[in-house]
Amino acid sequence: MNSTAATFFTSIEAVNQAIVTLSEKVGFNTLPLVSLTIILVMALILTLVVATIGGYGTYAERKISADIQARIGPNRVGPYGLLQPLADLVKLLSKEDIFPMAADKFLFYLAPFLAILGVFSTLAVLPIASGLILTDLNVGVFYLIAISSLVGVGVFLGGYASNSKWSMLGGMRGASQIISYEIPVTISILAVTLISGGMSFGKIVGAQGGLPHQWFLLHNPFTFIGFFVFFVGGLAETNRAPFDLPEAESELVSGYHTEYTGMRFGLFALAEYAEVFVLCGVATALFLGGYQLPLDVTNLPQIPVQVIQSVVFVMKSLFLYYVVIWIRWTLPRIRVDRLMSICWKYLTPLAIFNLVGVSVWEVVFHGQSLAQLILGH
Amino acid sequence: MLFLNVLFGVSAVLTIASSLLCVFTKNIMHACVYLLGALLGVAGLYMTLGADFVAVTQIMVYVGGIVILMLFAVMLTGGKEFVSKAQKLLNLVPLMGNKWTFLIASLASLVFAGVTVQLYFKLPEFFKTVDNTEFSSTVDELGKLLITDHLLAFELSSVLLLGALVGAAIIARPRKEEVK
Repeated sequence: MNSTAATFFTSIEAVNQAIVTLSEKVGFNTLPLVSLTIILVMALILTLVVATIGGYGTYAERKISADIQARIGPNRVGPYGLLQPLADLVKLLSKEDIFPMAADKFLFYLAPFLAILGVFSTLAVLPIASGLILTDLNVGVFYLIAISSLVGVGVFLGGYASNSKWSMLGGMRGASQIISYEIPVTISILAVTLISGGMSFGKIVGAQGGLPHQWFLLHNPFTFIGFFVFFVGGLAETNRAPFDLPEAESELVSGYHTEYTGMRFGLFALAEYAEVFVLCGVATALFLGGYQLPLDVTNLPQIPVQVIQSVVFVMKSLFLYYVVIWIRWTLPRIRVDRLMSICWKYLTPLAIFNLVGVSVWEVVFHGQSLAQLILGH
Repeated sequence: MLFLNVLFGVSAVLTIASSLLCVFTKNIMHACVYLLGALLGVAGLYMTLGADFVAVTQIMVYVGGIVILMLFAVMLTGGKEFVSKAQKLLNLVPLMGNKWTFLIASLASLVFAGVTVQLYFKLPEFFKTVDNTEFSSTVDELGKLLITDHLLAFELSSVLLLGALVGAAIIARPRKEEVK
């Protein structure tokens, strides 16, 4: 069976005892019911946490961009402007929900939810700490790639249903970009699964260590390139600058969400920022050692270790998040005809080259990393 | 088992409801979106059978590829203007086309019914095997089978896909006069 958060919690002695006494009182086996409740509660907590991180993504974006451009940024609402996302939320919720007359009502309402669904479904396999993963699917990485393509459908439908030329162009650009860049991203991930010998996140993270030379980033020269292919492709998949063509404000007003107002626009924005966090989390788990600590944790108490592990994981992810924002405010937008040539003529061949290189490396050096070869153990 | 029952219920309802809506809607764009729901539901059904790799492949191929392709195709060829105005008995169901589609569909349903009846008589053994393999990883076995027993089929399908890719590139490339 796939290990889930529920199997982790019910394996704790105290919880197990509580379930047994509860079952005796009620008169039937409550283990399935308790497991289901644990999963639902964990899913709710994780969703809320990532939604908060996504909301604060807007704050980080504005503060960091202000810093780069030698401004101050939001500083009125709360200390250092920290309550700005809350104020934004209130503003978005209280705005009028405008629906364009010529729009396709059903698809117009459905699109933001599809985008949100695609992003938040990926949280099910995001490895935050050992044991703290909603479900450690055997096909975890594959599931993540597959389910996140729902975002492409959401973006496309949002653009189509608005019945506006800006939205239509943005939606088409978004969908074609997401489909194209899926290929180099998937092939770079395939190279990682080749080294770790499994597609579950637990296995991939477990195959790495806490120190940088044990990470897959520095495993061999090919994965080093593979990480950058993955990251650039991921930027394009999340519609972030310099690949933010679907919402290029100088050409398309605001792209696929031009016609959306209030919280429907907010859902699209939240999906984008949460997806950036998921991208950073996945990059951390695949290439940067995930939650691994540089010491042996088998004999240490489990709960504090998990807290430290999740802090390590989130810190690494947030560092990448900073890099994403940094790139956005440093590089100009890429031209639309060069977008596809970057993907098909450079990133995809590079990713295939990496995949072949990693396979050859695995055969020649029997799966040893570069550091193991140099240090000799 | 509670998980499986809940998952099965949700998936089955999603599949059947979306399929019915997909057939009975008059807007072809909506039909595509309902089809998306039906395909996701089928992925859920695969999950209840313990076939995790097949389920995820279903999402990957259909949701990530085929449905987006269909949406593109519908949009570029007229979109929602394709609405059936038929009133006669045979054409009452929208998006169903002419008598030929009905003929082919009835043939297909006959074949499907035959397969279902055959399966029905084997049901007891069928469920036994499902119980044994529940939630064991199918990825390893699939990989081994693909590169041992079914190597020829695997290689042939990869050649087929490569051919499709090359064909698409040839069709899409600009003609020589246009380049000049």
